[in-house]
Amino acid sequence: MTARLLDGPPPGSGAETLREHRARLGDLPARADRVDLIQTLEASGLLGRGGAGFPVGRKWGSVAGRSGGHAVVLANGAEGEPMSLKDRVLMSTRPHLVIDGVELAAEAVGARRAVLYVGSEHREARAALDRAMRERASDRSRTMPRVSTSIVTPPVSYVAGEESAAVHFVNDGDPRPVTVPPRPFEKGVDGRPTLVQNVESLAHAALIARFGDAWYREAGRGETRGTSLVTISGTRSPGVLEIELGTTIGELAEWSGATGSYGGPVLLGGYFGTWVAGEDAWRMPLDPAELKRNGAAFGAGVVAFLGDDTCGVRATARIMDYMAGSSAAQCGPCVYGLRAIADATARVATGRPRGDDLVRVSGWSQTLSGRGACRMPDGTIGLLRSAMKVFADDFASHQHHRRCVATRAAVGSAS
Amino acid sequence: MNARRPVLESDFHLEIDRIACDAYGTCAELLPEMIDLDEWGYPIIAAGHVPVHLLDHARRAIDSCPVLALRLAAVDRAKIFPTTGTGWSARPEPRTDRLEGTPPWPPRPASRTAKRGPLPRKGG
Repeated sequence: MTARLLDGPPPGSGAETLREHRARLGDLPARADRVDLIQTLEASGLLGRGGAGFPVGRKWGSVAGRSGGHAVVLANGAEGEPMSLKDRVLMSTRPHLVIDGVELAAEAVGARRAVLYVGSEHREARAALDRAMRERASDRSRTMPRVSTSIVTPPVSYVAGEESAAVHFVNDGDPRPVTVPPRPFEKGVDGRPTLVQNVESLAHAALIARFGDAWYREAGRGETRGTSLVTISGTRSPGVLEIELGTTIGELAEWSGATGSYGGPVLLGGYFGTWVAGEDAWRMPLDPAELKRNGAAFGAGVVAFLGDDTCGVRATARIMDYMAGSSAAQCGPCVYGLRAIADATARVATGRPRGDDLVRVSGWSQTLSGRGACRMPDGTIGLLRSAMKVFADDFASHQHHRRCVATRAAVGSAS
Repeated sequence: MNARRPVLESDFHLEIDRIACDAYGTCAELLPEMIDLDEWGYPIIAAGHVPVHLLDHARRAIDSCPVLALRLAAVDRAKIFPTTGTGWSARPEPRTDRLEGTPPWPPRPASRTAKRGPLPRKGG
């Protein structure tokens, strides 16, 4: 474990004040040292931490290239992923680091307006950011140009954090994705080029601006460098950790006290993620590049261990049901397809399968991807496909024998 | 149809506005070669370039969509053919015409206005 974002006072002690933040990390570098920030970010190899993993330097560059001094920065702290806590922990405990990142981004891309987009359920995070902005407003020693910054709180929703949905909500109060292109970096908030960047990515940028890309690359074990926040669940001590990229799943299991046996099923990346299982998977480094080669994804850094006696089929069915319920209900394939998948997997999970449920689910998992305005169907189906691979025997046992492999019980009566 | 005969591909692919689409299904009726409907009536569109011999059918499907959800979009050649950039997948020599002109292959009616007759290579 390498603490960079979470260095300093322990997370339990609340939000760091501006004075503590300055004392610990010093001021942001002088203006002359900030001019090459976009190149520095490119050189650092920092990848976005909202789930898609797009290179941060390149994203800033593409907004800067068309901004004309009128771009907008949208710091994305919606964190609608049910298994992720890391963004709210970061915003609640290190608000100034996040706002440093927002101000640096605004300067680098040429923005005078910034929006802190914070899920309305993250009350502590919102309060911390509010207080941090007040502290900054009365601070005379600031070296950064002022950015008109407001906090916008979307309703609790899985899709509200999708970048076009975020822009849509800020513009029109509607937190649903829109058809792209134009993408937010072309035409976003107020119709202007908009940098939508996850809050953790912005906090990393604030450290890279201070200490440089070489420093950032000192951490990390494999191809992708640096550290990352991860949210661990299904262990004796769940919660948010900062790890060096390249740390293995097995190490995380050890540190956080996973209760299941070595090589048990793990959900990586959250509800848009992938199930992996087996000893090879547990030796797999949590490195976005490495995971991608293995058909998995780092996503927003969720690592959820499934206990030995927990049914993977049922867990997957619950996720499918959540996703079907979270569809913004705009695109037919998402509305009908996800609901059909959720209902069929629920029938299989609870021992009431219709004859061809498994075959139909498998068919939908082929035909629905790429058929939404956003990636809701694709992400959901990615998880489903990984589940049908990792829990293949279990799905078959539920369908054909109405018995659960994990709980060794007949399914259908108990819940 | 001779399976080995090369299909000339246009510079366009079909794009659909999934939010606008309301499952009228007219596109699948007019362009069954490229558009299928799922069990709820929403289109499943074949990936890739629209073959030149289907462009007119594609345009008719687009024009008849009651909610105007379908369109032809230029394929970004730089992404697909970073080395050659020729525009032909079956005949990789530099292209000499545009879509408005008469492609050399496959043969098609001389005049685009006199196109309502059966197309020479209509599949399906």
